[in-house]
Amino acid sequence: MDFRPSPAQQILISTARAFLRQHCPPELVQRLALDERGFDETLWRRMAELGWPGLLIPLELGGSGGSLIDVILLVEEMGRAGLPGPFVTSAVVATSLLLAAGSPAQQKRLLPALAAGERVATLALVEESGSFDLDAVTLECVVPGRLTGRKLLVKDAHVANDLIVAVRVGDDASLILVPADRPGIAHLPLDAISGEKLFEVTFDGVEVRPDDLLGAVGDGHKLLAGALQAGAMARAAEMVGGAQRVLELAVEHAKTRVQGGRPIGGYQAIQHACADLVRDVEASRALLYAAAWKMAEGLPAESDAAQAKAYAGEACLAVARRGHQIFGAISYCEEHPLHLIHKRIQAASVEFGDGQFHLETVARAIGLVSESPLPPSEATISPPAP
Amino acid sequence: MNFDFTEAEQAFAEEVRLFLRANPPETFPIDGMDAGYGSGAHSRAFLKALGAQGWLSMCWPKTHGGREQPMFMKLVLMEELAFAGAPFGPLAGCWQTADAIIEFGTERLRREVLPAIARGEATFWQGYSEPDAGSDLLALKTEARRDGDHYVIRGHKIWSSHAGIATHGLVFARTSREARRSRGFSMFVVANGTPGMDIRPIRSLTGEVYHHEVFLDDVRVPTDLVLGPVGEGFQALLNGLDADRFWGRFYKAPALGRVLRQLVDYANMTPVRGAPLARDPLVRRRLAAIAADIAALRLIFYRTGCLIRDGAPLTYETAMAKVYADETGQKLARLGMDLLGVWGPLREGSRWAKLGGQISHLYLTTLGHTIAGGTAEILRTSVAVRGLGLPSEPKPAAEPRAH
Repeated sequence: MDFRPSPAQQILISTARAFLRQHCPPELVQRLALDERGFDETLWRRMAELGWPGLLIPLELGGSGGSLIDVILLVEEMGRAGLPGPFVTSAVVATSLLLAAGSPAQQKRLLPALAAGERVATLALVEESGSFDLDAVTLECVVPGRLTGRKLLVKDAHVANDLIVAVRVGDDASLILVPADRPGIAHLPLDAISGEKLFEVTFDGVEVRPDDLLGAVGDGHKLLAGALQAGAMARAAEMVGGAQRVLELAVEHAKTRVQGGRPIGGYQAIQHACADLVRDVEASRALLYAAAWKMAEGLPAESDAAQAKAYAGEACLAVARRGHQIFGAISYCEEHPLHLIHKRIQAASVEFGDGQFHLETVARAIGLVSESPLPPSEATISPPAP
Repeated sequence: MNFDFTEAEQAFAEEVRLFLRANPPETFPIDGMDAGYGSGAHSRAFLKALGAQGWLSMCWPKTHGGREQPMFMKLVLMEELAFAGAPFGPLAGCWQTADAIIEFGTERLRREVLPAIARGEATFWQGYSEPDAGSDLLALKTEARRDGDHYVIRGHKIWSSHAGIATHGLVFARTSREARRSRGFSMFVVANGTPGMDIRPIRSLTGEVYHHEVFLDDVRVPTDLVLGPVGEGFQALLNGLDADRFWGRFYKAPALGRVLRQLVDYANMTPVRGAPLARDPLVRRRLAAIAADIAALRLIFYRTGCLIRDGAPLTYETAMAKVYADETGQKLARLGMDLLGVWGPLREGSRWAKLGGQISHLYLTTLGHTIAGGTAEILRTSVAVRGLGLPSEPKPAAEPRAH
């Protein structure tokens, strides 16, 4: 057993930390959160020069041929720096889907451009139900044919060149891949406290061609499961990085803020709060690394990933909330870095399945019996469970 | 990164499982209470069976009769024993005492006590706490006065686990008055039955005896039964307590995993208003959340184990891990009592007790875990001060000492 990143991974971590310190300081994070567009092309291009958007993409397709563990370690640093932008949705989730299901033509057209930072792709999955479960997808599509309807909470749709849309072709959950500028596609901004750029994407008689299918009709479940798992791990890594940053800031504050004639970190009330931050961060990280390792090794990891995401969501959010209490009034200010990290952790905790969603996966894995799922027709008309 | 066991570790785990199948843990006679830590009850017979396998001394140097196995084998053994619910209560204490004797024991301790540990015949109680020296251990009053080739120990120890059934006490006493409060302490290995030693049971809140108080009335101990450097015992004790937090809690995660499996079975098989309890969404979520806690706890301990194996310095890791282990155990016991509802309070052996009455036992015993071996408060302070570098709280002015 060995919990340490490899020497190459340690270089990746230190490079990322140094790069983000220089090119993604808290002031930039703050500015981008308040900015409507919130996307820094220069920063994205520099990241592409380091090979980051292509980390999961094989060398022969212009990528840097890394593993999921590499991605997790990198995103942890991004979370620590509060880096905004489409990395997870494009370089992890959409890229995973293209790698798993893209036709040679689709892969050749998009993956080198994604790796080079020239294109951005995003996933349009969630609908009015708010669920990341593909069973909840109702948007119907005939291939070839026309697509009319909408998707919600689509991340970074305003900078995306390509959209992967989860649809129902007949009874079969399927994916289609369309350019974001195809006539009939529009995006309307949602306004989130996290500063993340989320959109309602509408499809108004959008033409869908046979070669827009990503994978075969009916493959949606299988394909999306893997990509959502990778996305959940990346968001968990972002939370761990964010919580690590809160821990560092809170400890620094506790050492320097003097009240009653000594640093507040000299009072047990604050010491014990800080001790709990350490436990929450380290336990979240341990579950994350173990799950990512299993996935990277190709071992069954559904329940490991689920528990890592659920745990990080709960524990890292607790870190952020306790962080406010340690900082006191100053952390209520917009110019203080804590609230943005907090909001980002909160956003990450609900994307790609919230705690409730993932704990249900764990509940089944530990052997709790469950009812057989209701058929979709019945599920849609039944009232919510009391 | 690698979260797998080596082939040798996997082979040893299989060997332990085969042993447990051939020697079912529940067939061994029990001598002392299971205090809920995860190492089961105290069973001399089981300890001797482990000794007969050569497992008690497997990691010792060959010069001391060991086989120089890697330290991780001890983790593999403890995890398998805890998974199986085996009664290996005194094991961690034996290992630690042996390690101390190998590191700085006298020739006599190595000759007489070490082989007895290897055979599973020697077990130890800790004589550290006193009625007025708990978290403030340095306030202890027990003194050992040098008298020729003996020390004469006088004092009163308390909260000594299984002292009535162990073979030796590890008695911590003041051997000299020094300017520094933490100097002048020494550790003694005192055989039970030594004249002047009076061991009295303390009945615990479970109704059974686990702790004892020990009165030492001019107990004479030969000087070659001092363990470690005379007068410098406190640092050795702190190191020992640090290790205790790791070794004495390592098996908690697998043991809690075992309890969790039983609660899952109970929830699956217990109908509530016509449906299994397991279908209650809140029950599902609470059980799943604690499963994640137990998984995280196990990894935290293995991570610390890797640091120990690699000789990396430890500052806060064992303190943090111990608090997490004990609070997770309390959380699981609390959840178990909730699930059992009206059946929860029924004791082991009672008619209608569910899950053998062990949940009520766990509920009670786990209360002591955040107190014993360093309270959760002391340890959180330790994480903050030693781990994060926060300043210590100012100490109250020292009491003037009579000269």
